[in-house]
Amino acid sequence: MTTATAPVAPAAPARPSRVALPGPARLLGLELRRNIMPWLLPLLAVLFWLVTYRPAMADPPFWDVRSGIVQSHTLLAFAPLLAGAAAWAGSREHRRGMADMVGMTALPRWAGQLAAWAATTCWAEAAYLAGVAVLYVVTAHQGAWGGPLLWPVAVGAAFVAASCALGFTAGALLPSRFTAPVAAFVMFLALAGGAFALQANVTYAQIWPLNVQGAFPGDAYGIFYPYFPDLPIAQLMFLAGLAAAALGGLGLPAAAGGRWLRGAAAAVTAAGLAAAGTGVVLAGTARLEEHGIVIPALHDAASDRPTPYTPVCGHTAIPICLQPAYRALLTDVTAALGPVLSQVAGLPGAPVRVTQVAVTSVHADPSNGIALGGPVIDGRPPVLYLPLSRVALPGEGSASAITENLRQQDGAWILSLVVGLPGHVGAGASVGGISVMPGLGPRHSAQVAVVDGLVRALDLAQPGPLRARIPHGTPPGWHQELAAAQRFAALPAAARHAWLMTHLAALRAGRISLSEIP
Amino acid sequence: MNVEITELTRRFGRTQAVASVDLDLGPGVFGLLGPNGAGKTSLLRMLATVIPPSSGTLRLLGRDPGSYPQRRQIRRRLGYLPQDLGYYPGFTVAEFVEYFALLKEMPPNRVPAAVATAVERTGLGDKARTKLRTLSGGMLRRAGIAQAIVNEPELLLLDEPTAGLDPEQRVTFRALLRDLGQRATVVVSTHLVEDVGAACSQVALMDQGKIVFCGTPEELTARAEGTDAAGDAPLERGYSAVLAAARTGAGAQS
Repeated sequence: MTTATAPVAPAAPARPSRVALPGPARLLGLELRRNIMPWLLPLLAVLFWLVTYRPAMADPPFWDVRSGIVQSHTLLAFAPLLAGAAAWAGSREHRRGMADMVGMTALPRWAGQLAAWAATTCWAEAAYLAGVAVLYVVTAHQGAWGGPLLWPVAVGAAFVAASCALGFTAGALLPSRFTAPVAAFVMFLALAGGAFALQANVTYAQIWPLNVQGAFPGDAYGIFYPYFPDLPIAQLMFLAGLAAAALGGLGLPAAAGGRWLRGAAAAVTAAGLAAAGTGVVLAGTARLEEHGIVIPALHDAASDRPTPYTPVCGHTAIPICLQPAYRALLTDVTAALGPVLSQVAGLPGAPVRVTQVAVTSVHADPSNGIALGGPVIDGRPPVLYLPLSRVALPGEGSASAITENLRQQDGAWILSLVVGLPGHVGAGASVGGISVMPGLGPRHSAQVAVVDGLVRALDLAQPGPLRARIPHGTPPGWHQELAAAQRFAALPAAARHAWLMTHLAALRAGRISLSEIP
Repeated sequence: MNVEITELTRRFGRTQAVASVDLDLGPGVFGLLGPNGAGKTSLLRMLATVIPPSSGTLRLLGRDPGSYPQRRQIRRRLGYLPQDLGYYPGFTVAEFVEYFALLKEMPPNRVPAAVATAVERTGLGDKARTKLRTLSGGMLRRAGIAQAIVNEPELLLLDEPTAGLDPEQRVTFRALLRDLGQRATVVVSTHLVEDVGAACSQVALMDQGKIVFCGTPEELTARAEGTDAAGDAPLERGYSAVLAAARTGAGAQS
């Protein structure tokens, strides 16, 4: 120590900045340098790789699928950890015995705490956004069509900030060495509780930050239609409100600052609670529609217009045209459906073109909320509208899986549509890829036998009498159906096609008997 | 006067830590002596605006700390080293001092030079970039002193500042105290009477929340004359004599 009265020349200056930053910026810089979060970055990176990146890469490179995984998977893993880390940062004054020293300084304590929270949040956001950036860059590199969806990322960023705010406030107001693990556990429980509430169809639980556009990622939003921002806006209101309420709560104790400052903190808290409550109320009015979740008060009708695109088409007997996002799947789709389409090409009422349409979400069963539509033949000339529903589901994106799904389910379904066999989604038994309505009458026997024969001939699915698997029991006459199907399957392809050319109209009208099938 | 105290009292529940203390202090080094539990730390925490008084009036640097805007002005010109120094182990010495310079709302353009000066004055110049977790107890104490003086306070409150310092450091520190006391009011709470004798121009002795003596170190020494008070040094004998007199009811606030 020296007793010099004049300022002495610094022997080891305290890393003076070249630019004279304002006080709050310098404080934030100091907090950033000495924050706990950098120590957690490796763990966050590993979590991101395990929980988000690997599952995302197992799915096809669609922005809606990838962004859905970002919002749901990443935050489920990050939020408890971030809440715990922020609680640790918030309780540090108490743990380190700094309360008196910090409490007697001129800067309002609230401001100092906000700086520490901001530093923690900056690191957390940087980790989250870096992970998202990597995933999005890889997705773009894989040729994903359209632009990246930013609403899910924004919801995620808001959730990161809210997690940090809630954890930090818990740490600051209830400081102890146990606050951090308790905060992390409570956050995990809250997320789990939200998931259960959502499964139980509690309408207000739509606000759950991990809730994307629906229970399953479809391609109606973000590919065929714009991404509906209704739910993300409500979620952002909720999360920003939570963060504001938590941070405002930090400024309420007497030690936080002066009367005006505490008044401002109370106003921020009240505004935050109001915003969060409004978000929850809005989410309570949300309903799942064909192209995503709609909140009437926030919905912009312009979002209902389809996104324009130029389809990519294959060169087959019946051309298959896909949305350009599915360009990479054109070969697989053609390989899967080509034999089926060759068999029905030129038949009266058969489609002249296959056009991919959006997977639509429709209310079906309260237990899962939605069902996915199947192919439909419609219009003049007839067009087969084909939703590639299963392709978009997680874990079913490999080429072999796509081919197999299309062959077994959509291929057989298309045949049933051509012969006029009634089928629909969500009822009856799924047999050979066809959901057959229970209660088929005797007039459908020939149609069932022809479809069964074609399925056998084209090796689309496990052979067997379709009726035999209908859960209402074995109907009379199934032996005759089986025999007719086997006969029809044994015919050469040209003979089958020729017979169908001649008899399809009668078959569709139910005027063909089993004995008339060659 | 930088410190004006009238009938200042502080209670913690049923315990009266500080009882009706009157004190006026101008520039200079003021020693606060007393046994454990005498109320020194409570008095210092009130002077540091960490805790408010239960009753009585307190004016610091000509302002009322009961009013938040004035308290904030006081805090900009205040330095405080608590008895139990808290610190963030991951901070370097310079960062620790800079942190408090910013919390004290020093003009940002003055902060780097002020930090360097404070670190240098406490003899930690070569440790400026060393993390606090690696410092010895004495060095940590000096880092605590550096943060207390970084804003060149007009009122400096030091609670046991020489605890953990080796004799050489204590000698240097006393010189620093005398230097600081030329412009500011420095209140030093300590158990070590030799620190008071070497550095303080005035001294007060507290016992059971009350000031039982206030005067110069020489006057405290003189209180031992004609008594059989125990102590190795004259100031210690004066300390013992005043305490003994206070506890038998013969003492009175000077």
